[in-house]
Amino acid sequence: MSPAIAVEQLLNTAALSALLFLVSVGLSLVFGILRVVNFAHGMFYMLGAYIGFSIVSRSGSFWLALALAPPLVGLIGAALESTTLRFIYRRPPIYQVLLTFGLSLILEEAVRIVWGATAQAVDPPAWLAGSVTLGATVYPTYRLFLITVGAVVGGGLWLFLKTTRAGLVIRAVAQNGEMAGCLGTDVRRVRTAVFGLACALAGLGGVVAAPMLTAYLGMGIGVIVEAFVVVVIGGLGSIGGSIVGSLIVGAAQTWGGFFISEVAMAIMYAVMAAVLIFRPWGLFGDEE
Amino acid sequence: MNVTRRDFTKGALALGTGLTLGFPAVLRRAYAADPIKIGVPAVLSGGAAQYGLQAKRACEMFAKDIQAKGGVLGRPVEFIFEDTTGDPATAVRKAQKLVEKDGVKFLTGIVLSSEALAVSAKCPEWKVLFMSSFTGVGAFTAAKFNRYSFRPNTSGPMGARTVSLYMAESPMKRFYGVGSDYAWGRDSIGSFDRQMTAVKKEVVGKDFPPIGTKDFGSYIAKVKQSKAEACFTVLLGQDASIFFKQAEQFGLNKEVKLVTEIVELANLKAAGDAMLGVIGGSRYPFTLDTPKNRDWVKRFYDMHNVWPDMFDGETYQATEWLAQAITAAGSDDVEKVIAALEDSTYEAPEGKRTMRKCDHQAVKASWMVEAVKDPKYPHLIPKILATYPGDRVTPKCLTEEFA
Amino acid sequence: MKRWAPAGGVAVLAVLPWLLARHQLSILTELLIFGAFAMSLDLLMGYAGMVSFGHAAYFGLGAYGSALCLLHFQAPLPVALAAGALLAAAVAWPVGYLCTRASGIYFGMLTLAFAQLLYTVAFKWRDLTGGSDGLTGVPKTALWPGGPATAGPHAYYFLVLTVSVVAFVACRGVVRSPFGRALEAIRENERKFATLGQDPRRLKVTVFVVAALVAGVAGALAAPFRGFASPELMFWLLSGQALMMVIVGGMGTLIGPVLGAFIFLLLQEIASSYTEHWMLLNGVIFVVMVIFFPGGLVGALRGWWAR
Repeated sequence: MSPAIAVEQLLNTAALSALLFLVSVGLSLVFGILRVVNFAHGMFYMLGAYIGFSIVSRSGSFWLALALAPPLVGLIGAALESTTLRFIYRRPPIYQVLLTFGLSLILEEAVRIVWGATAQAVDPPAWLAGSVTLGATVYPTYRLFLITVGAVVGGGLWLFLKTTRAGLVIRAVAQNGEMAGCLGTDVRRVRTAVFGLACALAGLGGVVAAPMLTAYLGMGIGVIVEAFVVVVIGGLGSIGGSIVGSLIVGAAQTWGGFFISEVAMAIMYAVMAAVLIFRPWGLFGDEE
Repeated sequence: MNVTRRDFTKGALALGTGLTLGFPAVLRRAYAADPIKIGVPAVLSGGAAQYGLQAKRACEMFAKDIQAKGGVLGRPVEFIFEDTTGDPATAVRKAQKLVEKDGVKFLTGIVLSSEALAVSAKCPEWKVLFMSSFTGVGAFTAAKFNRYSFRPNTSGPMGARTVSLYMAESPMKRFYGVGSDYAWGRDSIGSFDRQMTAVKKEVVGKDFPPIGTKDFGSYIAKVKQSKAEACFTVLLGQDASIFFKQAEQFGLNKEVKLVTEIVELANLKAAGDAMLGVIGGSRYPFTLDTPKNRDWVKRFYDMHNVWPDMFDGETYQATEWLAQAITAAGSDDVEKVIAALEDSTYEAPEGKRTMRKCDHQAVKASWMVEAVKDPKYPHLIPKILATYPGDRVTPKCLTEEFA
Repeated sequence: MKRWAPAGGVAVLAVLPWLLARHQLSILTELLIFGAFAMSLDLLMGYAGMVSFGHAAYFGLGAYGSALCLLHFQAPLPVALAAGALLAAAVAWPVGYLCTRASGIYFGMLTLAFAQLLYTVAFKWRDLTGGSDGLTGVPKTALWPGGPATAGPHAYYFLVLTVSVVAFVACRGVVRSPFGRALEAIRENERKFATLGQDPRRLKVTVFVVAALVAGVAGALAAPFRGFASPELMFWLLSGQALMMVIVGGMGTLIGPVLGAFIFLLLQEIASSYTEHWMLLNGVIFVVMVIFFPGGLVGALRGWWAR
């Protein structure tokens, strides 16, 4: 393997990991803070891609899509949470799975009704569509943009949760909702906000993924299991865990695929199994 | 009045029973004469929905066309659509429902080869004729052949053959193969490899990314590294669109000639200009320049507002051929229609096709096309580079091998 | 009343073939097969508190086991059923041992990982499993050489009904036995249980294998019924559907998941005949059900009966 290819592969790992991180961090948040297994998470990712597509094709501006689509998806998520999920927090967690499964069916069909069955192309702005020369390799600029977005969101989210007051409130609700409620926090609002934030993050992942993958109907189902694998390897509820998990899965798929193409997808299951057998709560998860 | 949960439950159970027994008879149109029913268990939801959509469009257009001509044997043709969601077990269940409940004697429009094989295996038991339009798997007219199944469309081996013939005649000598890791990808790359070796050319590397791969970067890097002159891809649906988009982002299309087994409009639309200059086979290029085809394409566009893709054409042609056979048989009795189909000729948009009796594979021409820009169309279109007559691309009877 | 409700149910099911159209009988046969599959998952979920996301793997293994037996050896049907069930149980043993290292959702994800790995094997091992196209042409053989045929819809239905009833009785026996009580104790408080001296892990592995065995029987029935076995039978989507069936029907009731399977599949069948937007309709129904029927269908029926 030449150094140029090696560099390219490292960058590919970073790009894929960034994408996986953006898709899965919301899932980790929702489980860590709301203790909900959100089966519909992949659908919010898909929704972000399609809303992004609509904004780009109407206005011609990718930046507008980047700015508007995630909040829109977040609002939809928050609306769904406050009208459905909110009523079943007290039930055993398994019921939430059925509810979010029902939501995923609704969302997938809604996308099909609104946008149809055909896949749609989303074009990034011209200066991102080219490539940069890094020594001997020529690398697509857009993937570097993706890596940047992933890093910014990861760092920003971590800072938000650890240093801001809102982040503190969220962590308090995660640790002990009842106590936080007694101390004056509006727990219901926090939960809705967190769910909305998680959906917005998934939607951001979708908008950012669309120029590289197109917007297509199978996106939601195609990504949900990978997202679960990433957050489980990292440990549910841990942002740092999601970062590490996405790096591990990204690396496994990129390098595994390079050497033995057909194992590229299966390898992440083997990795997850190996991690869980040795550390049954994920790398950074809480030992319960 | 207070509607208690008990009342709600009772009401729901009553309604449910009523619906179960009552059934969507209400939704079926009333026909004056007894219609000829054709069942279409297609993929209408999920990732492959854009293919089921093509089957639906083509059948709807055919129903309208045949109605204007007075039907088949004076009877209207009724298509009954069911959603298989891309799962073979559901496909069999839906097909069984179409046969046992709706009384269809003909099935068409099944999208996935796994679904087609499962349903086709049941056709002798149900005594139902299956006229494929998507099915590419070679075994359908070889190892898994049964006399109730017909393939009027181009198969995977035929597609790989078309590309192999073109590449054999080209000056290029070094090729790389990238196929989706399942039956079609493996079989076509394997077939291409054998045919290139037979003409002293070389396939320097092969990769089989799993279905659903999001990042083709590694494979693109390997193709570049191999210094191949052309890259032959056999990728499923959306994976193809993603590959070509990313190949262009990495500049692969400038270093290597990109070749694919099927150039679909679905891919051209999704990948956009990234596919400019890609060459490949086509089972039905809507740009065929014959008066019959130009007329058909125009009418299709008028009805559906999109240009017809490969399977729109293949499905329409399949149903037209089937209708022709029913007319020739003088009845919709399946045994008579089978006899009428075997060795029959069909006037296709490009010329004549014959249905072989030995394996029910149509001897059909195949095309090599190039994705080009044309200001008249909102997306890239397939320009025909070469036409290969049926006898050059159709395998030997009941096999997937060529003479 | 509650005592003879199951017997009454079986009596109704025994009579139905003469009342139903042929295609409705096919659907009912399929419902029973999935009912048995869902019931096997309830052993794990409802009684042992182990939520598995990869249970379909054992259904699939059962299907492949019986399909291979029937295709290559034309074995009598009961032999094929046993082969499928044993294959599922044999694989479940080491997998269960490894998975029970974890608990809660991590256990679930481990079962998913192994199920997906098995799926990949089935998908790629073309020579044995037919690869992505699966094995077609699986015959329905006789009950014993020269014995009664099972190819007819009535005959096969009664075979499925008999096997399902036997499976139900067996599962109920397991659940009511000391072993079953121990499982419930583990579900309530595993740490406390461990202090009583027995190793909870051994019991968990055992119930995992038993559940896989029953799922394997269901899968083994499915392959000849449909005439094929394919990798989709092991895919996580089917595992997820089984999970839904158990929740819809009511966990920890054994009969609930059977009803849940009925409802889940019938909803799909009926909705997709009425509208092309059947997924939307189903989704709404599930959401409404979860919010208004906390104990699943059985919980709702029990509540209704109690009034």
